Amino acid sequence: MNILSLLIFSPLLFGLLVLVLPDSLRNLFRYITLFATLLQLVLSVWLYIHFKTGPNFAGISNEGQYQYVEKVHWIGLNLGGMGKMQIDYFVGVDGVSILMLVMSSIVMVIAALSSWEINKNHKGYFALFLLLDMAVTGVFCSLDFFLFYIFYELMLLPLYFLIGIWGGVRREYAAIKFFLFTLFGSVFMLLVMLGLYFSVKDPATGYHTFNIIQMMNPANYDKDSIFSILSHQTLLGFPARTVGFIVLFIAFAIKVPVVPLHTWLPDAHVEAPTPVSIILAGVLLKIGGYGIIRICLGIFPEVATSGAFWLGLLGVISILYGALNALAQRDLKKLIAYSSVSHMGFVLLGIASQTAEGVSGAVMQMVSHGFLSTMLFYLVGVIYNRVHNRDIYSFRGLGTLLPRYTVFVMIAFFASLGLPGFSAFIAEAFSLLGAFNSHVFNGLLPTWMAVCGSVGILLSAGYFLWTLQRMFFGETHLKGGDIWKLALTDLGKREMIALVPLALLTLALGVMPSLAFDKINDSVLALIQFMHTK
Amino acid sequence: METVLTHSDISVIQLAVTAVVLPFVAFLLNLFIVPRQSKLSGVLSGLAIGASLALSVFVFFEVWNQPALHVQQIWFTVGSTQIRLGIWLNNLSVLMLLLVSAIALPVHVYSIAYMKGDNHYTRYFAYLSLFCFAMLALVVVDNLLLLYAFWEMVGFASYLLIGFWFTREKAIQANKKAFLMNRIGDVALLTGIMLVYTHYDTFDIVTLFGDHSLATAAATATATKSVTIAGLCFLAGAVAKSAQFPLHTWLPDAMEGPTSVSALIHAATMVAAGIFLLGRVYPLFNTEVLTVIAIVGCFTAFMAATIALTQTDLKRILAYSTISQLGYMMMAMGIGAYSSALFHLATHAFFKCLLFLAAGVIIHEMQHLKRKHRLHIDAQNINNMGGLRKIMPVTFITCCVAALALIGFPLTAGCLSKDGILIQGFAWAEGKGWAYSIIPIGAVLTSLLTAFYIGRLMFKVFFGESGLEGISADSEPEAHEENPLLYLPMILLALGSLFPLFSLNPLKFESAWIVKGFADMVNKTESSGELVPFLISALSVCVVLIAYGVYVRQKLQWLKFKGVLFNMSYNQWYIDTFYNGIIVRAVVGLSRAASWFDTYVIDGIVKLIAGTGLVLSRISAWIDRYIIDGIIHSITYFVKQAGNFIRGFQTGRVQGYLFTMLIIVLALYILKTFI
Amino acid sequence: MSMLSDFMFISAGLFCIGIYIVLSKRNAIQILIGIELMINAAILNLVAFGKYDDLANSGQVFALFAIVLAAAAVAVALAIILNVYRQYKTIDPAKVERLKD
Repeated sequence: MNILSLLIFSPLLFGLLVLVLPDSLRNLFRYITLFATLLQLVLSVWLYIHFKTGPNFAGISNEGQYQYVEKVHWIGLNLGGMGKMQIDYFVGVDGVSILMLVMSSIVMVIAALSSWEINKNHKGYFALFLLLDMAVTGVFCSLDFFLFYIFYELMLLPLYFLIGIWGGVRREYAAIKFFLFTLFGSVFMLLVMLGLYFSVKDPATGYHTFNIIQMMNPANYDKDSIFSILSHQTLLGFPARTVGFIVLFIAFAIKVPVVPLHTWLPDAHVEAPTPVSIILAGVLLKIGGYGIIRICLGIFPEVATSGAFWLGLLGVISILYGALNALAQRDLKKLIAYSSVSHMGFVLLGIASQTAEGVSGAVMQMVSHGFLSTMLFYLVGVIYNRVHNRDIYSFRGLGTLLPRYTVFVMIAFFASLGLPGFSAFIAEAFSLLGAFNSHVFNGLLPTWMAVCGSVGILLSAGYFLWTLQRMFFGETHLKGGDIWKLALTDLGKREMIALVPLALLTLALGVMPSLAFDKINDSVLALIQFMHTK
Repeated sequence: METVLTHSDISVIQLAVTAVVLPFVAFLLNLFIVPRQSKLSGVLSGLAIGASLALSVFVFFEVWNQPALHVQQIWFTVGSTQIRLGIWLNNLSVLMLLLVSAIALPVHVYSIAYMKGDNHYTRYFAYLSLFCFAMLALVVVDNLLLLYAFWEMVGFASYLLIGFWFTREKAIQANKKAFLMNRIGDVALLTGIMLVYTHYDTFDIVTLFGDHSLATAAATATATKSVTIAGLCFLAGAVAKSAQFPLHTWLPDAMEGPTSVSALIHAATMVAAGIFLLGRVYPLFNTEVLTVIAIVGCFTAFMAATIALTQTDLKRILAYSTISQLGYMMMAMGIGAYSSALFHLATHAFFKCLLFLAAGVIIHEMQHLKRKHRLHIDAQNINNMGGLRKIMPVTFITCCVAALALIGFPLTAGCLSKDGILIQGFAWAEGKGWAYSIIPIGAVLTSLLTAFYIGRLMFKVFFGESGLEGISADSEPEAHEENPLLYLPMILLALGSLFPLFSLNPLKFESAWIVKGFADMVNKTESSGELVPFLISALSVCVVLIAYGVYVRQKLQWLKFKGVLFNMSYNQWYIDTFYNGIIVRAVVGLSRAASWFDTYVIDGIVKLIAGTGLVLSRISAWIDRYIIDGIIHSITYFVKQAGNFIRGFQTGRVQGYLFTMLIIVLALYILKTFI
Repeated sequence: MSMLSDFMFISAGLFCIGIYIVLSKRNAIQILIGIELMINAAILNLVAFGKYDDLANSGQVFALFAIVLAAAAVAVALAIILNVYRQYKTIDPAKVERLKD
């Protein structure tokens, strides 16, 4: 069995194990889950270490350059006159996805660690958790659109239940909102996927194919098919390829989330239990960004180039709008949710710039935000578990009461606001650099967008510092009085185990960005070149 | 570009790196290993910075007026761009290296005594070492990105130190404000760096601004708009860090931190980083930007001096004095007096640091009195002080030296550097039209104001009687200033504020070695300038005498008027009021509006869509129930009714059936036969 | 020589009497008698038409059959009536209406 497939399906095996074991062993489930995620982490780190770099391993639009590839015929249906329907189980990684894999497996370990707080229906929870884990990993590896779509949809189901059953007070509302939002995007994605399928033919077999990499090659399109570059077909009065791009973009933009498609995020985050918040912010949002890079840019490069201005604009709006909203929040978790919107705006801005710096910065931002948002949500979870309150104004002077906790909050906050030495600084600096450079390099984005993006950095300092000042400094004053004072104990051992590696990782990435950049450079360069030869 | 480095050069660079890294090691040790409140931490940090100083001295003598040393190695690669990290040791960086460690050492020593007994003694020294590391690194790095990184890091260290007593409401307000205002400058600086990168495609300072640099070549060839904008962005960065108008209001508030921190960070080193930055990227600036720099600097110098006239908080006066002096340096940079600006930076570091350390001692003394007599007074208010010269002679004498240096009294270091700026200012304005001469004249005015406010400070604090009713300070029999760790650093700094350290000729600034170390833009002509310093010195003495008259002899009381001008000065030109009232409120309001928009408009639209879906589903449910189902129901009803009707025929009577049959047969027969 | 039509008239008369009895009487036995009358009317016709089949005399044969059958039917019918009486304690067909739906 291919190591990548092992990576994808090992959580599923453990999930089945959890299902099979009797309920009397429920205290064991969390250890099984933790073990599964740790195993996955080991595998992904192995992949990362053995990942070969160099222009011959760039990936993107060249099937031969992907690594750890496994390609098996999966579904074959003879449709008679319409040819043969061929769906492959086709997985592989390039520079962009390897980082996502490592990041998501680390986040999963932390999420598993924070699942200790779960106190009802263990079996269901951990089985769903592991199913989600599998789906997420699968999305990052799939190179067949059909497989991608299956994994993509498969994520929704466990998440819906995880939020809807183990969530907060308004969990059902949040769960259904999240579900409908995402489904809305993916249903239309299905249509475009089918359209692409009927447009593209595998040159080797002559049959239609779902292969994403084949879809990137304009020569593989049928001459008069709907998405062919040459045929200039229209859909609803618009050029078909533009419509296809927009539909796919909306599907992924909901995930990212891009303003104005973001309103599911604060609700989902606020209601979700801590580990699910961690997965949502740490991994799920990245699937949006990853999808935009891999699929929107890969399959519709010329539309992405002509629409770069609008992508950049949406990115800038997300940055500023998310930051302003974060500034106005009273609920700590909501504040962090909006800060996610703001930070993910940098991803979009970097991608829209279509420069090597910008796209590298965007990928880096995804990784960095993966770790940082995990840390932030974990920290919110710590305090919420203790006193079941998250209102910023309920706390004051926590620094005296919880010194260790405050140290980690400060690390997370300052790292998030882009203090040099932490990963977010490198990520945001290069996203912005790409945006600045775009003006000279390819003329896609005007300079004012980059400047507005920089203002986002200023605003993020504003809301994080204000929160620090309001919650953590000053004389200790708690809304719940002495009861809370007793309940608020400083970080325990398990919590330290979760937080220290995250802090070290973001520090390591900030000091040695080459840890990430070395792996992605070739892919990013290949992507940029690919975009500009179109 | 790539020069072959000799063996000794490499060792110099290694020593420089060691000098930078040592405080960082101390930071790590203090953070993770040294137990809380251990005396070890102060010693550790002090030793680290002491070693840094020793190494800096060595490096200084190796590099000063020698060819610059530059090493770099690849840090990481983005796309096809290699980002390198390295250090560049030229006159400017080794001077700063020496200056920072030379100021930091006395402050460390002072802090050991000053912070004694604090609950977070170790944490204090950890932060202080972190700051020293960042500051030392800032001055030697060769890469704009790294420069920015350390630029922010010093800001971060300053944030930590201002908010060191994080339970004090004022302190945490102040550190937030400091960081945010610095962030404004940082964003501008980052923008500037990005613009430079897009223009020249490199972050390397040596390539950009070194000898035969890209920027110089470009600036002379085409003064493009984007270069001007980039220059203004760098200026904005420096304005925030060096607390220049309009981003200066954080510095007075930053005085909430420990006084030793104010001395090191907010008087001598970090705030000077803005000037250093301008010096580092000097070739980037074209004439327009330089003029803007001069105007900003001159205006700030004047404004801050006027504010310092009326403040009553000891540290606040010194803070505004710092702003004013930094304005001087800024102005000097703007008029091309590059060397004088750096010279003034160096001299100012000594005497201003000294003034702050003295202020720390005085405040300690006042707090002591306050506790002793159970008074409810502000220990930092100069109106409560007075007559302290008798009980604190060392402080008094060192303070006098520093104050004289600040005024620019002959034989002090301040005299040399200030004269340099003023002379070059007049030389610069010469032949440029009357509007340009406003700048040197403003500088002279500021210089006189400086003499007045520092005179006021000295007289109020050290002369006359105690401002406290019934308590005369000299009646205290206890020993003061007994801790040599407190006053030794002050004496050292006082010696540094005198002329011999900088020049053997106390009257000619051109003979100072710092000035000789840098090439100037303005030719140092021996024109009308020669007379200026003497004139100003004489005037300053007069002003000091007036201050003496006002505050000690209680004459000329009309000078103590309280009119519009007084209010303007006392309220710091209402700038902070404006910021809090307008800008902060605007941003908060905007964020509220955004939140409202998000909840009610965007989420409203989502909910509207959801609601529309619900309504549609209700309608279709109604249709389903009453129309579609209704049709089915009516069909079945009809069939049922028909069945019921026909059922009536089934009477069960045999004869009836027979009769019916007969009728039907007959009917059929009749039909068949007759129709 | 009587005419064929005479037989037919008698037969029709018998049949009508039989129908009348069947429809109007409230007694099952009487109805049975009415039925017998109708059968006999039919038999009379058979015999009358049998004149035209000299060779096989099928009319007479049929008549014999019909008489036998009628006798059998009467037996069965009487048995039913007996059972009906046992069940309902009446032999008025108008009161036996359980066949109604």
